[in-house]
Amino acid sequence: MTLRSGQSPRPGNDPPFRARWQPLRVGAVAGRWSLVAGLLSGALCAVVAAQEGTIGGYPPDEALELGERMYREGLLPSGEPMRAFVSEDIEVDGTMFSCESCHLRSGMGSIEGTVITYPTCGSWLFKPLQGAEMKPLSQERVPDRLDPPPFRPSYTASTLSRAIRLGRDPNGRTLNYVMPRYSLSSADTEVLIHYPKNLSAEFSPGVDDTTLRFATVVSHDVDPEDREAMVATLEAHVRDHNSQSRHEERRARGGPFYKEEKYAPYRRYALSVWQLDGAPETWGDQLEAHYREEPVFALLGGIATGEWAPIHEFCERNRIPNLFPLTEYPVISDTDWYTLYLDKGHYKEGETAARYIRRSDAIPVDAPVVQVFRDEPSARMCVRGFADARSKMRLTAAGEVELGADDAADAQLWRRLAEEHPGAVFALWLGEDILTMLGELSSADPPPPAVFVSASLVGDGLGSLAKEARPFTYITHSASIPADEERTRLAVKRWLQARKVPEINFDLQSKMYFLGWTLAGMVKMMRDDFYRDYFFDIADMMRDQYYSIAVYPRLSFGPGQRYASKGCYVVQLTEDGTLEKVSNWVVH
Amino acid sequence: MSRFRQVVTVLSLSAALTTIFAPSPAAADDKQRFTRDEVTVVPPAVTLIDQNGDTVDFEAALSSDRPVFVDFIFATCTTICPVLSAGYSSIQRKLGEDRERVHLISITIDPEHDGPEELTGYLERYRAQSGWDFLTGTRQDIDAVMRAFDAFVPDKMSHKPLIFIRSPQDDSWVRLYGFARSSDLMAELERAAGEAEAGEEVAR
Repeated sequence: MTLRSGQSPRPGNDPPFRARWQPLRVGAVAGRWSLVAGLLSGALCAVVAAQEGTIGGYPPDEALELGERMYREGLLPSGEPMRAFVSEDIEVDGTMFSCESCHLRSGMGSIEGTVITYPTCGSWLFKPLQGAEMKPLSQERVPDRLDPPPFRPSYTASTLSRAIRLGRDPNGRTLNYVMPRYSLSSADTEVLIHYPKNLSAEFSPGVDDTTLRFATVVSHDVDPEDREAMVATLEAHVRDHNSQSRHEERRARGGPFYKEEKYAPYRRYALSVWQLDGAPETWGDQLEAHYREEPVFALLGGIATGEWAPIHEFCERNRIPNLFPLTEYPVISDTDWYTLYLDKGHYKEGETAARYIRRSDAIPVDAPVVQVFRDEPSARMCVRGFADARSKMRLTAAGEVELGADDAADAQLWRRLAEEHPGAVFALWLGEDILTMLGELSSADPPPPAVFVSASLVGDGLGSLAKEARPFTYITHSASIPADEERTRLAVKRWLQARKVPEINFDLQSKMYFLGWTLAGMVKMMRDDFYRDYFFDIADMMRDQYYSIAVYPRLSFGPGQRYASKGCYVVQLTEDGTLEKVSNWVVH
Repeated sequence: MSRFRQVVTVLSLSAALTTIFAPSPAAADDKQRFTRDEVTVVPPAVTLIDQNGDTVDFEAALSSDRPVFVDFIFATCTTICPVLSAGYSSIQRKLGEDRERVHLISITIDPEHDGPEELTGYLERYRAQSGWDFLTGTRQDIDAVMRAFDAFVPDKMSHKPLIFIRSPQDDSWVRLYGFARSSDLMAELERAAGEAEAGEEVAR
């Protein structure tokens, strides 16, 4: 890693982001100490390696995997949880939290409230932390005696072991009490240290001295207008960034030292469009081929018909972040990490309907529930979200009625459903054709306590919902109500106009507007620590967003949270045809 | 840039470094780990949801005849919450079968993400037993609760390590700001419970 000019803590510098702790660095002194400490550390490691040829008794590759498990899952090589004390006398084990909890996946550390967690990756641990690093020209301008004193020397295997087990830094200072003091054998400590030594040790692919490379994925069968809307909006962001309105490259090259360092991390963006052809089963290989040809730092947005799984799996496999793809078919996972979705798509509508049924006072809690759908991917996602939510709430599974492709959603069907399932709540994951027929259900005896339909499946035809059915028809609506967001919507429209980007698909373009706005902050916070994991660690630290996104009332983020929109309204259509919210944005 | 301005700039940087890198109060052996204050809390009349998905009358939950601990955490928190929760866990471990002597309440400050299932998963991770409840609710209600405890933060990543302890005898509240040891928490519990027991004696 090329050390660049000093990086000072900048709390609150970027409104949407948490500042990360960064010490100031001084190059000249840092270089000398780094060399000495590096030689000592290297010599020590060499002696150990020469003696054993292993790390903690394991071959290096295995030790790396075991070290990663210790760092991320808190499990010893034996499989037992690591044990430690925090706050002096509180015993904890690795299944409660691990090194990754505070130092994050990238090892770059974090700031939370009053607690600063220092970087623990190899590129930071094994060099001394000093004052601001300056280029030779700047150094000539400032006498050596004015160099600030070192904050701490480089860690060695020995001092790092002491920090992990006794909570003391190389200066002998006591680390914060929230740093666990681990009970580890020497061999296990050696294995643990081996992991951060290799963590974020080199820049991720897709970045060089001048350029940060991104790609966006488009499947061949996407509506050309949607493709154009997404790509044009992303490209407008790229143009904005590359316009160097703050003269970044010039200031990095020849400004006073504090501007050199400020602008040194600047990289131009390059954006490629990776088109995927043929069947989704072949997309994985196509993505690998694109990536071999052109390694990128991250994927931005992306749009495809059908499931996002092939792209999602490619990103997991290669540990490539994918920021805000445009899909109604995300992979639903609590553990996958490398795709940050805007929302859960259709799945969220099913999930919300199930939760609303439980929470609403207007719906009998013991009423039977029946899902009606056709074998279509969008309906299947709703059904799955609904079923999963009921399972998580430990409620009995809902009944399911699958209609054939030719089965008409007509009056006869609804009469049959009402007769076969008296008093049932219906979740009708069907298209617009059901709306005019819903009135038939109101004449059932007794009428259904509630019927749920999806705004995204029904589309623009909500206004044709029979008036008799409106009192018992609940509509899942996973976006903000347009009338609530007029000001934000106007901001996006003006932004597009100013950049001469035609408004083609507002929903889609407003999401890409938000992506670019977010990306600017993330890249700025990343500074010259170009590690993919850190890129998403930064996203995880983002503050909740509500004024820069037009199509959701609120987006929120958090460590490991991979669906930014947590909500979905339940609305009803009033007599005069307006949508009335009957739930909060988030329904538990 | 003149030489004078260069020197001033570097001296300013040095001063900033001294400030930034000075050991924080919590990081020094001889400094306080936490501060303790008596505070007034007027709980809002809100209904929250617990880890089982059941609704909870928050005022009623606090009006207990046993000491109540309240902290503000969230399920995906990286640094502060795990330590606070480990403290709760240690209280229950030390009390053993007497753990119902105290009501431990955690309140999420990330109600968008933390539903009952997330709360349950979190409690399981910390081996929580009966007597420790984790509550969520609407954003508005959670904000109202945070404000009542003067613990409101607009951004969850800015939250502070706070534990509030209510003595059932006189409805007094103690606020611990920082990271208390398990022994400190037990002492606070005994104090709150002792006051309650003393009050019962007087009443008799």
